[in-house]
Amino acid sequence: MRYFLIVVLFFSYNASANAADADPRKIIDDMEQLYRGASSDVKMTMVVQTPQYQRTMQLTGQSLGREYGFFRILSPRKDRGIATLKRDSEMWNYFPKINKVIKVPPSMMMGSWMGSDFTNDDLVKETQLIDAYDIVMTETVSEYLFTLFPTQQAVTVWGKIEYLVSKLPLLPKSQTFFDEDGDRIREITFSEPKVFDGRMIPSVLEVRPMNKDGYSTRIIYDDIIFDSASITAQTFSMRNLKARF
Amino acid sequence: MLFVLSLSMVEGSWSNIVDIFTLDHTGHVQIHNGDYAKRPKIHKTIRDRLAVESILNDRPEVASWAPRVFSPGLAYGAAKTAPAQIFGIDPELEPTVTRILQKISAGSFFTASPNSDGYSKAMIGAGLARSLNLAVGDEIVLIASGADGSIANDIFIITGIVGNVTSFDRQGIYLPLTVAQEFLSLGSDVHEYTLLAKNKHSNEALSARLQMQIPSLKVSPWQEIQATFYKTMQSDKEGNMFFMGLVVFIVFVGVLNTVLMSVLERTREFGVLKSIGSRPGDLVKLIFLETVMLASLSVFAGFLLIFPAIYWFTEVGINMGMAVEVGGVEFDTMKGEISAYVMLMPMAFILCTAALISIPPGLRAARITPRVAMGSH
Repeated sequence: MRYFLIVVLFFSYNASANAADADPRKIIDDMEQLYRGASSDVKMTMVVQTPQYQRTMQLTGQSLGREYGFFRILSPRKDRGIATLKRDSEMWNYFPKINKVIKVPPSMMMGSWMGSDFTNDDLVKETQLIDAYDIVMTETVSEYLFTLFPTQQAVTVWGKIEYLVSKLPLLPKSQTFFDEDGDRIREITFSEPKVFDGRMIPSVLEVRPMNKDGYSTRIIYDDIIFDSASITAQTFSMRNLKARF
Repeated sequence: MLFVLSLSMVEGSWSNIVDIFTLDHTGHVQIHNGDYAKRPKIHKTIRDRLAVESILNDRPEVASWAPRVFSPGLAYGAAKTAPAQIFGIDPELEPTVTRILQKISAGSFFTASPNSDGYSKAMIGAGLARSLNLAVGDEIVLIASGADGSIANDIFIITGIVGNVTSFDRQGIYLPLTVAQEFLSLGSDVHEYTLLAKNKHSNEALSARLQMQIPSLKVSPWQEIQATFYKTMQSDKEGNMFFMGLVVFIVFVGVLNTVLMSVLERTREFGVLKSIGSRPGDLVKLIFLETVMLASLSVFAGFLLIFPAIYWFTEVGINMGMAVEVGGVEFDTMKGEISAYVMLMPMAFILCTAALISIPPGLRAARITPRVAMGSH
């Protein structure tokens, strides 16, 4: 989940970025700065594929800065209204059918979010890429490849992240996550760029765990509104979590 | 006598325990998809239910069967939370394979239809009722993982409390099958078929035959499902047999002595018999028949004496007052069992051994010469 937010905000920045000015720390830092500063209101479709089943969900999502996130399931009907609120490093799920708010305990953070290949931790964690990682940039004619190595102090499960970015248009193509043994664990690919609210963004994001055959989660952005005035800290309240809609 | 009684008690007690747990939950034979019995996963379901059910209906050895679904879940009472085991059972078929109707300690058995407020019905184990402080008529909230990765969550109304706090299903929550399938997003799939055989002793043969008919699924007799229990039972029986063997051996040393003595005592008579023309073979035959007849008589007398006792043990049994737990199954009455195995096996064993024992003294009598025999005192 974090990734689609990063993507959203990263590209609001990159629309105005100068490709020739390729300071990797600045690109990533700006990306994070923008992510922190902006708000977004998203409509999206999530398709979870496993060897046993395929499940399609319609979701709405709001974010405000790095600290706040809110997601609500619109369909399928059985799950309609199930919502997740993220505030700082805490997370709650709300189930309208039983009218219960359940805090996601730290032990469940690595658990799957609503059966997808995103973990609850993906929604919550706030790793600052430029603080936690040393960045090495290589460049071809059409692409930048940022290789991120965690610093000594970094608290992370990754041994390395490879971040592939195309130059024209300046859009991400993929992120590959490696464990400490150098094995590929997870890959996120970005595709089908579209213009939302005046900004070009890859509209399809696919997560594929490399150690689990046949599993993937696709997020398809249906609509995005940036910097909406209607998104305030109030959007991320317990009351709103339990509100009828 | 003792042998028959003891064997009857051992067989009876075990048969009693086996009945208790096969009729409590396990059934005589179970059908699963792959290794569900060992490694349950919510998506290891039986899809082609029609095919399985028509086979089960066609087999004459099958007395009854019932489909089931399972899942772990989290149950919420008014103020507390507890882990729960969800059992989705068919309200019509389940009572034909288990004693669940007799196990209801409060309230009543449920139906698949929702109550007047639209809530589905549930029955919960006594342990769950106690830890969540719930009673019949209360609401219980359940959360579990659906088969499609969704988070299953719903409210149910408790219509009954099942078993006591020591039952295997004390942390269980029973839902009507169709309700459980919808709750867990399983469609019409089930995880298990449990069936009772008409003859409980031939369940392994039935299981093997069904396995041939349904090669795509795993058919297991209860001996496989409850392997640990079965092994405990077998080793207990073996230990008992060894002990019985020891007792019988000591008894036979005594019997041998008696037969030998009676032959020695009558050495002079055998000498006379030989001197008037009896052949050695006749003497062996004589002693053999004598012993076998004596043994038959005593076995028959023993049978007459022990049968009422065994009958009483089988029908009434000794109430032990306090329930004893064996392999997780409780039983409070020690019972015997009447079967061909229990009655005839010891009899045949005793007759054979008696016959065998009569041969050495017989041979001794046959070999002796009349002069030596008549000269002995």
